[in-house]
Amino acid sequence: MHAVFRPPVNWRHRRFRYKLVVWRCLNCGAVHHYATSICRRCRSNRIDEDKLPDRARLITYTVVKNPPIAFEKQAPYIVGLVEFEDGTKLVAGITDCDPEELKPGTELERVVRKIAEDGESGLIVYGYKFRPAITRGR
Amino acid sequence: MPRLSGVAVHGYGAYIPMFRIKASEIARVWGMPDSELPVLEKSVNSLDEDTVTIAAEAASYAIARAGIDPDRIGAVYVGSESHPYAVKPTGTIVADVLGVNSRLLSADLEFACKAGTEAVELVSGLVASGMIEYGLAIGADTAQGRPRDALEYTAAAGGVALLIGKSSEGAIAELEYAASYVTDTPDFWRRNHERYPVHGSRFTGVPAYFHHIISAAKMVVEDGYSLGEFDYIVFHQPNTKFPYAAAKMLGIPAKKIEPGVVCNLIGNTYAASSMMGLAKVLDQSKPGESILLVSYGSGAGSDAFVFRVKEGILEKRGRAPLVSELIERRRYVDYALYLKARGKIRE
Repeated sequence: MHAVFRPPVNWRHRRFRYKLVVWRCLNCGAVHHYATSICRRCRSNRIDEDKLPDRARLITYTVVKNPPIAFEKQAPYIVGLVEFEDGTKLVAGITDCDPEELKPGTELERVVRKIAEDGESGLIVYGYKFRPAITRGR
Repeated sequence: MPRLSGVAVHGYGAYIPMFRIKASEIARVWGMPDSELPVLEKSVNSLDEDTVTIAAEAASYAIARAGIDPDRIGAVYVGSESHPYAVKPTGTIVADVLGVNSRLLSADLEFACKAGTEAVELVSGLVASGMIEYGLAIGADTAQGRPRDALEYTAAAGGVALLIGKSSEGAIAELEYAASYVTDTPDFWRRNHERYPVHGSRFTGVPAYFHHIISAAKMVVEDGYSLGEFDYIVFHQPNTKFPYAAAKMLGIPAKKIEPGVVCNLIGNTYAASSMMGLAKVLDQSKPGESILLVSYGSGAGSDAFVFRVKEGILEKRGRAPLVSELIERRRYVDYALYLKARGKIRE
């Protein structure tokens, strides 16, 4: 089997992808998407577990019409750059809307969606996406 | 008498994907007259939604309403006929997405359209026995309908979760009765590795749906209730006609059925179908009112429950989207986009 999504990598990132848990370097500010005891950028061992908020604002987006392997059937789809209240930025899939509805500053909320399937027999990968907020901050 | 004591619903949550296809659009493609279609329109999951994501979103709303720490949840059961994996539980993914502690009971349930209420039976038993403090019972589906088949008009997508725990101040509803009635009835099935189910057409009516719904409702009466005492009655709704017809056979006025009927606007959400009716009723009920819920799953069986609404509904209802809001949030797709969204376009 020639897997596009390798189970160990996928498993290691699951807390980040399901709940936006990150490991932040207290020395240089680098954000890691998996548990680590040493910063990959500055080698500091001052790492703090943190969770990014469930709401963010859109900075900008693009529409992918020529997708990579395992994403072909989803085209066209929206990929956005979003910013959290604390200034952390993240690239994320944007769902449940058309591009025309989006503009810089649109309020978004996190959902967990199917990101891609590894063919008919491989892993199904789930993770965060953002959609225009419907829960009105409840 | 299968009465429960000390078991209550602390949170409930529904989720309906935003896409809809009109039954008349399906009829147009197959050259069928658009009079007497079983529903007006049905919900359609988008390409990035499946039973896992739908179950997780419904459950997140149930947790939001209950206002409890997910770590106190001791069981996550997901009933569905469209689990994404043939082998690998939906429940463990849903639990991880929700942030539930790993000290957990979890399994996937299957019983056609009553797989969700089967989870309610199990979780309420675990709570009553003291094995767990809280448990999530979820029914979620992205139901399969073969192109041109009668089920294509109704097979829909949606999910409902109930967060059940010991009775306490602030509960949404007491669950005071739970029972089940099953027989071996071949009205609908899907064999291994098959993409679409097969059904017995008219055989799905009298010996299947009506026999089990009515038998379960009569069981509730035998156990000491009278159908007249319930403020709301919710039956499984595979189409708009069946729940009203069952009510008529039982002498129940249509106005007790009406508040829980959602099928006409979202179709049959299978394992979530009767639970969606319950969620819609909870959205509008008042403390002190009583609800009879009777599900139906092909193969075949019905679960019957009696809920008594408590004060907690007033405070907790507004913490998550109402079923009516989820129905309002909709976008229509034509048949081509429907085929794409449902992964029916094969290379």
